[in-house]
Amino acid sequence: MPADFVLTTCPYCGTGCNFFLQVVDGRVVGVVPCKTDETSGGSLCIKGYNAHAFVGHPDRLTEPMVRRGEQLAKASWDEALDRIVAEVKRISSEHGPDSVMVLASAKCTNEENYLFQKLARVAIGTNNVDHCARLCHASTVSGLLQSFGSGAMTNTIPEFENADCVLVTGSNTLEAHPLIGARILKAKEKCAKVIVVDPRETPLSRIATLSLCQTPGTDVAWVNGMINVIVSEELHDEEFVNGRTSGFDKLKEVVKKYTPDVVEETTGIPADDLVRAARMYAEADGAMIAYAMGITQHSNGTNLVRTLANLAMVTGNVGRECTGVNPLRGQCNVQGACDAGALPNLYPGYQSVEDADIKSKFEKAWGGELSGAKGMTLTCAFNKALTGEVKAMIVFGENPMLSDPDIGHVEAAIQKLDFLAVVDIFPTETAKLADVVLPAACYAEKDGTFTATDRAIRVVRRAVDPPGEARADWQIACELARRLGCQGFDFKSPAEVLAEIGAVAPLYGGIDRDRVDSEVVRWPCPSKNHAGTRVLHEGSFKMGRGAFAVVDHTPPAEEPSDDFPFVLTTGRNLFHFHTGTMTRRSAKLQRESPEPYVEINAEDAERLGIADGASVRVTSRRGAITVVARVTRWIDKGTIFIPFHYAEGAANRLTNNALDPIAQIPEFKVCAASLEHA
Amino acid sequence: MRTEHGNVAPVLLAKGDGPGELRADVPYQMAMILSRVYPHVPEGRIAVVARRCDEKAIAELSKRDIVDRDRIALIGLACTKEQVAECRCRDPCPETVDLGECSDPVVEDPVVEKVRSMPPEARLAFWTDQFRKCNKCYGCTVNCPVCFCDDCLLEDKTFTVEKGIPPGMAFHVIRSMHLADKCVECGECERSCPVDIPLLALRKMANDDMKELFGYTAGDADRKSPLLTTLEGDPIKEGDVDAC
Ligand code: SF4
Ligand code: SF4
Ligand code: SF4
Repeated sequence: MPADFVLTTCPYCGTGCNFFLQVVDGRVVGVVPCKTDETSGGSLCIKGYNAHAFVGHPDRLTEPMVRRGEQLAKASWDEALDRIVAEVKRISSEHGPDSVMVLASAKCTNEENYLFQKLARVAIGTNNVDHCARLCHASTVSGLLQSFGSGAMTNTIPEFENADCVLVTGSNTLEAHPLIGARILKAKEKCAKVIVVDPRETPLSRIATLSLCQTPGTDVAWVNGMINVIVSEELHDEEFVNGRTSGFDKLKEVVKKYTPDVVEETTGIPADDLVRAARMYAEADGAMIAYAMGITQHSNGTNLVRTLANLAMVTGNVGRECTGVNPLRGQCNVQGACDAGALPNLYPGYQSVEDADIKSKFEKAWGGELSGAKGMTLTCAFNKALTGEVKAMIVFGENPMLSDPDIGHVEAAIQKLDFLAVVDIFPTETAKLADVVLPAACYAEKDGTFTATDRAIRVVRRAVDPPGEARADWQIACELARRLGCQGFDFKSPAEVLAEIGAVAPLYGGIDRDRVDSEVVRWPCPSKNHAGTRVLHEGSFKMGRGAFAVVDHTPPAEEPSDDFPFVLTTGRNLFHFHTGTMTRRSAKLQRESPEPYVEINAEDAERLGIADGASVRVTSRRGAITVVARVTRWIDKGTIFIPFHYAEGAANRLTNNALDPIAQIPEFKVCAASLEHA
Repeated sequence: MRTEHGNVAPVLLAKGDGPGELRADVPYQMAMILSRVYPHVPEGRIAVVARRCDEKAIAELSKRDIVDRDRIALIGLACTKEQVAECRCRDPCPETVDLGECSDPVVEDPVVEKVRSMPPEARLAFWTDQFRKCNKCYGCTVNCPVCFCDDCLLEDKTFTVEKGIPPGMAFHVIRSMHLADKCVECGECERSCPVDIPLLALRKMANDDMKELFGYTAGDADRKSPLLTTLEGDPIKEGDVDAC
């Protein structure tokens, strides 16, 4: 047929919009929205509309390469795979399996992530497997797990449209999750109150009912302040608090000192505004909280997530439709990569590797001995590479050389490795340093499933063949495991892998490929006749009672000083995605936002004599980059913002890798910086 | 269109293909689908299930030589009463009806009425408020059956700077002007808009002006746009223009 329309899932943000890829003669030529898709409702954002553009790009990796001296040179699949297998065997026999680290990928499917962790755990024998959730929502997973017993978005995307109040914080929703942002606007059109708390003005905050602007790194203070107002005005939900939670008395004690005046002093949020926000949120019938990296990417990220959970529980806004605590996950499959067990402490379905019973269950299922010690996180692995404890890394579809904090440090760590293998679709900054590079298939060239931020399992369908000799990651992972001499990797299709996930992870017990082909199912879905779950924690929490956390405000790891007077915060914009490997190769997206820039407040700019469009140098304790100044009123005085998409002006040369002690997520959102004419 | 994976998909069938579960109840803009498929079908005839708006859009496309009308066969589909209401459509009946039965047009558009009743300042405020929601997805353009320029003016830096969202007022005004003699009121722009900007109402108002000023309605297969023909007519005589 000269034109086919293949239904698939967007490879960008975690919203999980479905659309059709138009295929002509084995090439994807365009995107058509799917009118009947529940999530997208027949709309898309500009990234979705351009999701075909990078697929056939001439930069795609098409053949395996191995390092010969200084050069990466073409090699056969056999040679490249054998090289990886030989190195992994050698290093693991010399230094133990825990000297090997596997990085899974939030851009790969559930099936692939399942295989990556199985490869690490069974074929290599280590729990050292992690992925970039460490950099975005690790604190969500740990925070919500401790408060509610489940680390995922409590409600669903369509519910935003019908909420009475939406509190958005640390999320530039209209740019980073455009179709969720659109739903929030629809709610507002129906008279819902929209409150945005963000250190920058965002397109959403500019149309919100109430917009509050806090000093970066002071979030615990304003959330505690809201709870203070709610409790002192008796707006809290007594019945819910008594019936379903524990630890309220302690919380009450702690928030006492966060009076609106005190909070104003710490956060810069006017006391009156805080009171209004608290009332709006507490008085609504159904109030949803949506948050993203502005909350999680802090050295106290886990605690911050827990304060938001406190706020929701105090007002009884959990376990009902149009309520809840809703982390917006950034990547197409970051939810699924966590679900599938690409985490160093958890098997598929959030089952602890340190629990002996669970471990033996998995040993039986996988037919091999497993390590009972939890593995290393991604952030920790780079530190350990520097000290020589980690010797080898296999990286599937990640680009830590741009995505991780303090790139200088990452680069030094990678240089110290004995062996680095990278599997990717483009020659990324990380791939350039590898010993073996394998060409992978992109989302349009393979089958599988993604799990969207609201736990919906979405199907990815193969529309075209991979370029050249490229292969799907699931095939590569299976082949590596077989060559390492391991059983249990003889899958003929991703559908068979999904069936195995269902067998070992009760959350996915009722999920199979045939079912999700035509039905949107959200986990937990324990059995075939279970309809899936839209709202979590209905009736009771996963762990029984919800646990209030007592959290006090602590200043960020690095505060501005005379030498570094600005607070630098990082994030993304509408047109690019993460490290830009895909979007910056899409002409229309690149046109919209072609070069790295720093946003600076107009008054600050004037004081420093910096004009809009001037070239400036931004420096932190870790490095310096040169970017273009965007002078704006949208950002607070004393704060600057740099998107992290650009290799030529990489924000993460500057960021601090101070870690949250529980989730080990780095503090991307706050570091001290200086700025001058370049 | 047919049912696929629990959804409704646009589909192109060749001779001998099994039709599957065909349906006509979901408003895919078939003229838009046609213009995406057309360049890849170098010969033969293509039959299109066409509503009145598709039919008019195809007329506009063929006037501009984007499709060859002789290569297209129309299967006329009359929209149901519910669809007509949903689209606030004032011209729902195709020239030949092969499928369905014609319903009455919707004469009054509540959004248009509301905006028309406002004083000019309030109107400006209304549109400014609406346009502030825009997140520049270009859905209104990508899905419009009569938006076909290779280099879209909306992507020109002169008019819409590349500094994020929302784009300036110019984005919407340029689009409106650029469609002045083409828009067939299919409503696809409004349906595609993720943030519910009432784009169809804007289009209808502009189209009414077009009709009033030039007596022309887009979608007319026999008449060229007056915007292309106003320089014809009698030569200029002395005294017609200010002499120097
Ligand atoms: S909102 Fe997210 S999932 Fe939807 S089209 Fe945009 S990037 Fe893709
Ligand atoms: S109604 Fe909108 S989509 Fe349809 S022809 Fe007019 S401008 Fe294009
Ligand atoms: S469809 Fe709506 S949001 Fe998208 S560009 Fe057009 S007006 Fe803006």
